[in-house]
Amino acid sequence: MRHPTTRLLSALAFSAVVAAAPAAGGGTAAAQGAQPGPNVTVADIRQMVADARKEVETYNAAGAGRTGEHPAIAWHASIWRVHARAPQTDAGALAAIEAVRLLVRAELWDRAHAAVESLEVNDPAWRRLPSVIYEEAIARKNFEYATATLSRTAASTMTPPIKAAALVIIGRINRRQGDLAAATRVLAEARAAAPGTPQAEEADNLIYEIEHLTIGLPAPPVSGTPRNSRRPISLASFKGKPIVLVFWAST
Amino acid sequence: MEEVPLLKTLNAKYAGRAVFLGISVDVSLPRVDSTLKSKGMTWLQLADGKGFDGQIARAYRIQGTPELFVVDRTGRLLARPGSADQIEARLLEALSRAPEQ
Repeated sequence: MRHPTTRLLSALAFSAVVAAAPAAGGGTAAAQGAQPGPNVTVADIRQMVADARKEVETYNAAGAGRTGEHPAIAWHASIWRVHARAPQTDAGALAAIEAVRLLVRAELWDRAHAAVESLEVNDPAWRRLPSVIYEEAIARKNFEYATATLSRTAASTMTPPIKAAALVIIGRINRRQGDLAAATRVLAEARAAAPGTPQAEEADNLIYEIEHLTIGLPAPPVSGTPRNSRRPISLASFKGKPIVLVFWAST
Repeated sequence: MEEVPLLKTLNAKYAGRAVFLGISVDVSLPRVDSTLKSKGMTWLQLADGKGFDGQIARAYRIQGTPELFVVDRTGRLLARPGSADQIEARLLEALSRAPEQ
């Protein structure tokens, strides 16, 4: 945690440039002290998120002895304000995503959903928001909200990478639920929606995984001459014995 | 590389019954060789020095390490353990299946 004097000074510096920034009701001192100025960077958002997580950790550690509302609520409001001010910037998009993630990790589902639903469907934050919605679905082991929200987004957005991002997560949900045919179909749709984007590449990788790396399929070929043996090997050369493949890197 | 001691143990324990095959995604082959030596990783090791773009790494869509796969006696994917401590159970499962006639 930063030195209190430093925090006070930076809070003063912030409030000097923010005209009447409203403090989140009932929020913590730290979240209120983090009113950002107009030129907030991606690094600033990451710092706010790190500070927020520390405070949430402290809150959670207090267990039954904790008082007041969950710190994620005030932090969400502070970080979301960056998005509200500059939704088209990288920092603004990241702010929306991380603000929602804070609520999801605090299991404040209704608040998270309200924030998601307040986002315009072509807002740049939607490019990565689907993975936060997926995170919630996995945590709750319930994919209904995610599927409905992402289907609606994919159908209504005019922005190809957003459509692809939403479809990719629907594909992941289908795969997770064992419907590989539906997953492949929707991932192919994602890939076609926004060629050349990271979202299309992710869809392509997932289709490949389904078609080549699903349990029960023949293992993709492995062959070569080991660094520590003279004889060339392939998977077939060990037929009859189970093989453990260990992909690794020096650290 | 914290999985190396466990891999060493398993490799010794299942020697002759199962095969451990390392595939390095390092981009430097001298680095691979020095790691193999310093860590005592004596099981078979493939490396092409091409990192995640190497042919085998691409075929398995490797994006991070460690990444583990268990292949059954017939050459089919049996499991993708999330961590090294899940390997042995899957290996026992593979060994319990009768060899193909």
